[in-house]
Amino acid sequence: MVPSPILLTALVYSFILSLLAMGFTLQYITLSVPNLAYATIAFASTYLTLTFSLMNLSPYVAMPFGFLLGGAISFMLYKFVAFLRNRGTSIVGLMMATIVFDLIIYASMNIYADYLAYVFKLYAGSFSLSEFDFEIFSFPAVLFISGLTSVGLVAFFTLMLVKTKFGVAMRAVMENFNLASVHGINTERILSIAWFFVGGTAGLSGSLYPIWFAMDPWVGARMFISIFAACVIGGLRSIYGSLLGGFIIAFSEVVVTYFLSLYFPWIWAYRAVTSMVIAAFALVEMPSGIAGLIEKLRRG
Amino acid sequence: MFLIDLIMDIIAFFCIYAIITLSLNFQQGYTGIFNLGLYFPIIVGAIITAYLPGRLAMVIYGLDPKLDFSANNALVLSILRSKLSSDPVTSIALLTLTLAAVAIVCYIIGFLSSYPALKLPADYLALFMLCAGESLRVIGMQTDWLAGGVMGITIVNPFWWLGGYSYYGMASFTIISTILIALLYHRLCESPLGRLLKSIRENELTAESVGKDVNGVKRKTLAFSFTILGLAGVLHAFLMGAVVVGGYTRVDFSFWPWLMMIIGGTGNNIGVFLGTFSLVIMRRIMIVGKHYFWFLPFNVVWFEPILLAIMLMVTLVFRPEGILPERSPKIRDYLRKVLKLES
Amino acid sequence: MVSQTLSAGQNLELEKRPLLTVKNVSKRFGSFYALQNISLTVPEKTIALLIGPNGSGKTTLINCISGVYWPDEGQILFDGKDITEMHVHDIVKLGLVRSFQVPAPFKKMTVAENLLVCGQDNPGENFVSSLNRSRWRASEKESVDKMFKVLKTVGLEDKVDTLAGELSGGQLKLLELGRLLMLNPKMMLLDEPIGGVNPVLANSILSHIINIRNEFGTSFLIVEHRLDIVMKYVDYVYVLSKGNLIASGTPSEIVERRELYDVYLA
Ligand SMILES: Nc1ncnc2c1ncn2[C@@H]1O[C@H](COP(=O)(O)OP(=O)(O)OP(=O)(O)O)[C@@H](O)[C@H]1O
Ligand SMILES: [Mg+2]
Repeated sequence: MVPSPILLTALVYSFILSLLAMGFTLQYITLSVPNLAYATIAFASTYLTLTFSLMNLSPYVAMPFGFLLGGAISFMLYKFVAFLRNRGTSIVGLMMATIVFDLIIYASMNIYADYLAYVFKLYAGSFSLSEFDFEIFSFPAVLFISGLTSVGLVAFFTLMLVKTKFGVAMRAVMENFNLASVHGINTERILSIAWFFVGGTAGLSGSLYPIWFAMDPWVGARMFISIFAACVIGGLRSIYGSLLGGFIIAFSEVVVTYFLSLYFPWIWAYRAVTSMVIAAFALVEMPSGIAGLIEKLRRG
Repeated sequence: MFLIDLIMDIIAFFCIYAIITLSLNFQQGYTGIFNLGLYFPIIVGAIITAYLPGRLAMVIYGLDPKLDFSANNALVLSILRSKLSSDPVTSIALLTLTLAAVAIVCYIIGFLSSYPALKLPADYLALFMLCAGESLRVIGMQTDWLAGGVMGITIVNPFWWLGGYSYYGMASFTIISTILIALLYHRLCESPLGRLLKSIRENELTAESVGKDVNGVKRKTLAFSFTILGLAGVLHAFLMGAVVVGGYTRVDFSFWPWLMMIIGGTGNNIGVFLGTFSLVIMRRIMIVGKHYFWFLPFNVVWFEPILLAIMLMVTLVFRPEGILPERSPKIRDYLRKVLKLES
Repeated sequence: MVSQTLSAGQNLELEKRPLLTVKNVSKRFGSFYALQNISLTVPEKTIALLIGPNGSGKTTLINCISGVYWPDEGQILFDGKDITEMHVHDIVKLGLVRSFQVPAPFKKMTVAENLLVCGQDNPGENFVSSLNRSRWRASEKESVDKMFKVLKTVGLEDKVDTLAGELSGGQLKLLELGRLLMLNPKMMLLDEPIGGVNPVLANSILSHIINIRNEFGTSFLIVEHRLDIVMKYVDYVYVLSKGNLIASGTPSEIVERRELYDVYLA
C-alpha cells in the first residue's frame, strides 16, 4: 500500500498542478501564446503566504491576496501581449514579452526574499510552512482546502462557460478569435477578464503550495516542467485534457517515484525530471495527448 | 596587467557568447526553429567536461583507484596539476578528447530530442527545449558524482603547462575556436544551404512542395547547433576552471543570448555579433560596478534580470528587427561574390 | 448521363498512357465529406481542367494528390507508383508538383532566391558539401541560368531583387508558377494559376503551358474559374460539385451541356 503521507502529498500536489495546467492551457488557447511567466506568476504568491505566516497570521489569509496578485500581474501581461500582437509582432516576439514578465517577477521575488531575510533575520531561500497549518479530522487542512478550491474553481468555471453570457462569448473567442470579433464580441474585454481570472487562480494555487511543500524562489522554474508535461499529456489545446494531465503527472511524479525510490533511493531527487521523460515519451507515442485519445475513442 | 586580464576576460566571454548566439541565429534566424533551451546542450558540454578529462587523467597517470575525482576533488587536482604542468601532449590530448566526446554526445542528443520536439508546434517546441534544459540542470545539481552537484567541482586546465600563462592559453584557444566556428557558420549561411534554411523558416509547406525534406533538414540543423553549443559548454567550463551546473541558468545561457540576437538583428550574423559584443561588455562592466551597491538590503545581481527584461521590452516595442536587420543579397552581388560570375 | 461522358474519357485513356490515376478517393473533415468517391485519370502529355463551384472540393483534391492530406479512402497512383500515403517532398521527387491557390511564397526572400531554392539535388544544400564551394558551383550555375529563363517566361525579370512579400497579388501568382517551372516536373497541379493575372499575360502563360506540354510532354491538372480564357487551351475537363465528380468530357462536350451551368451558378 502507498503510505498515507505519500498519498496526501500526491493529492495536494495534483489539486494544485491540475489547476495550474488548466489555467496555462486556457491562456494558451485564448491567445495562442504560451505564457512563460505563468509558473512564476503562480509562485510569486508563495511569498505572500510566507509573509502572513511571519506576521503570525494563518497562511490561508494569503489566498485572496494571492488571487489578486496573480490576477493583476496576469492582466498587465495580457495588456502588453495584446498591444504587441495588434502591432503585428510575431509569436516569437510575443513569447519574449512573456519572458520579460517572467524575469521581472523572478527578480522581484528574489529581492523580496533577500529583504525578508534582512528584516526577519532568517534565511528565506528555502522554507516550508506546514507547521502553520491546522488539522481537520486529523488530516492536514491543506488537503481539504486545496481539494475544495480545485473542485470549486473547476465547477465554477464549467458552469460559467455553459450557463452565462460571458461564458458563451468566451467560448466563441476560444474557438475563433477573428470570427468572434467580427460578430461584435468585445474580445479585448473578454480576454482581459479571462486572463485576470486565470492568473488569479494560479496565484491562489501558488499561495497554497508552501503550506505543504518546501519552497524556494526557483520552484516556479521547476514546476514549469510539470505544468508543461501535464499540458502535453492533455493535448495542448484541451482544457479538461490538461486537468487530467495534471492529475496523471502529479501522481506519477509522487507515487511512481516513491515506489521506484524503494529500489533506487536516489531517484527521489529527480521528481521533476520524471515528468519531462513522460512528456517526451508521450509526444513520440501519442502526440495529440489525452484529447486525441478521446477523439479516437469517440470515432470508434 | 589588470587591464590585460580584463580585456582577455571580456574577449573570452564575448567568444563564448558569440558561439551561443551564432548557433541561436542559425536555428531561429535562419531555420525558424524556436529554441529557448540553448542551455540544454551547454550543460551537457559542461557536465562532460567536469566528468571526463579529470578521470581520464587519473587513469593515464595511474592514480590510486581509491581516490575519487569528485569526492577527493582538491587532492586529486593538486596531483594532476603537478603531472599535467610538465605534460603538454597529454593536456592537449585531454582537451581534444573532451571536445570530440561532447561533439558526438551532443549531436546524438540533438538528433534524438528532435523526434519528440518536432512533433510539437513551434511555440511548444520552445517550451520543450526549455524544460529539457531545466531538467538536465536539476539532474546536474542533484547528482554529486556527475559534476559535483550543488557545490560544483574544480576541473583540470589543459594549459597548465604554460605556467603563469595558463589562463591566456585557454583564452587564446577559445578565441581561435570562435573564429573557426564563426567562419563555419558564415560558410553554411551563404551557401545554398542557408537559402534552404530560410525557405523553411518562411514557409514549411512551400519548402516541402518544392521537394525539401523539411523535418530532415530541421533535425540536422538542431543536431548541428547542439554540437556547437556543446562545444561552447566545454570552452566555458575550461575557461572558468570549474563547473557548477546550477550556475547554467536559463537567464544567463538562454535569455541573454536571445536578447543579444534580437538586439543585433535576427537573421543577420554580423548584427548578432555586434549585439553580443555590446551586451557582453555591458554585463562585464556591471559585474565590476556592483561592488558600489553594497549598502542595499538585497543582492544587486537581481538588477541584471530586470535590466535584461527592460532592454528586451524596449527592443520589442521600438526596434523588433534589431540594429542590423536581415538583408537579402542582390542577385548581381551574389553572382559576382559567391559564384564568381560576371553577367 | 455520367456514363456517356466517361466513355469519352476512356477513349482518351486508350490513346495515351495514364500518368495520374485517382481511384475512389474520399476525404472527410470531421463528419463532412469534402470529397466523395472521386475517380479520374490524367494521361501523359495532357492538359486537364478541373472546374466546380466554390467549396466543391477542388483544392482538397489537389491537396490529397500532392500529399498535403492523406485521403481517408481510395488510392492515388502516379507514374505507376502508389503515392496515396507519401510525404509531399517525396511526391515532388517523383515529378509531381503543385502550386497554391493562395500564393505561398518565401516572403522575406527575394524573387531570385524564391526560384533558386527550387533547384533539385544541389550539393550546396548538404551540410558537408556546402562548405566546399567548388562542389556546388556547377549546379548552382545551372539553377541560375534556369532561373533567368523562368523569370522571362513569367515576366518577372525586373522584380528579381524584390522581396516576395512586396509583390502584388497577380505577380505572386506568376511567382507561384515560376517555382514549378524550376522543378522540371512530369506533371503540374495548378490551383488557379491565372487568378488575378491580366488577360494578355494569362493567355501568354497558357500558351506557354501548351509549349511546355509539346516540348517536354508535361501533363497538367489545372483548377480555374475563368473558363472563357482557359477552355480553349485544355484537352479534357472534369466537373466537381459538392465533393462529387458530376461530369467529364472534352471542352466542346462540356460547353454543350447547359445543365452544368446551373450547377456553377447555384
Ligand atoms: N482543413 C479543412 N478543415 C475543414 N474543412 C475544410 C478544410 N479544407 C477544406 N474544407 C472544406 O471543404 C470544402 C471544399 O473546400 P475546397 O477548398 O477544396 O474548395 P474549392 O473547390 O477549392 O473552392 P474554391 O473554388 O473556393 O477554391 C469546403 O466546404 C471547405 O470549407
Ligand atoms: Mg480552391
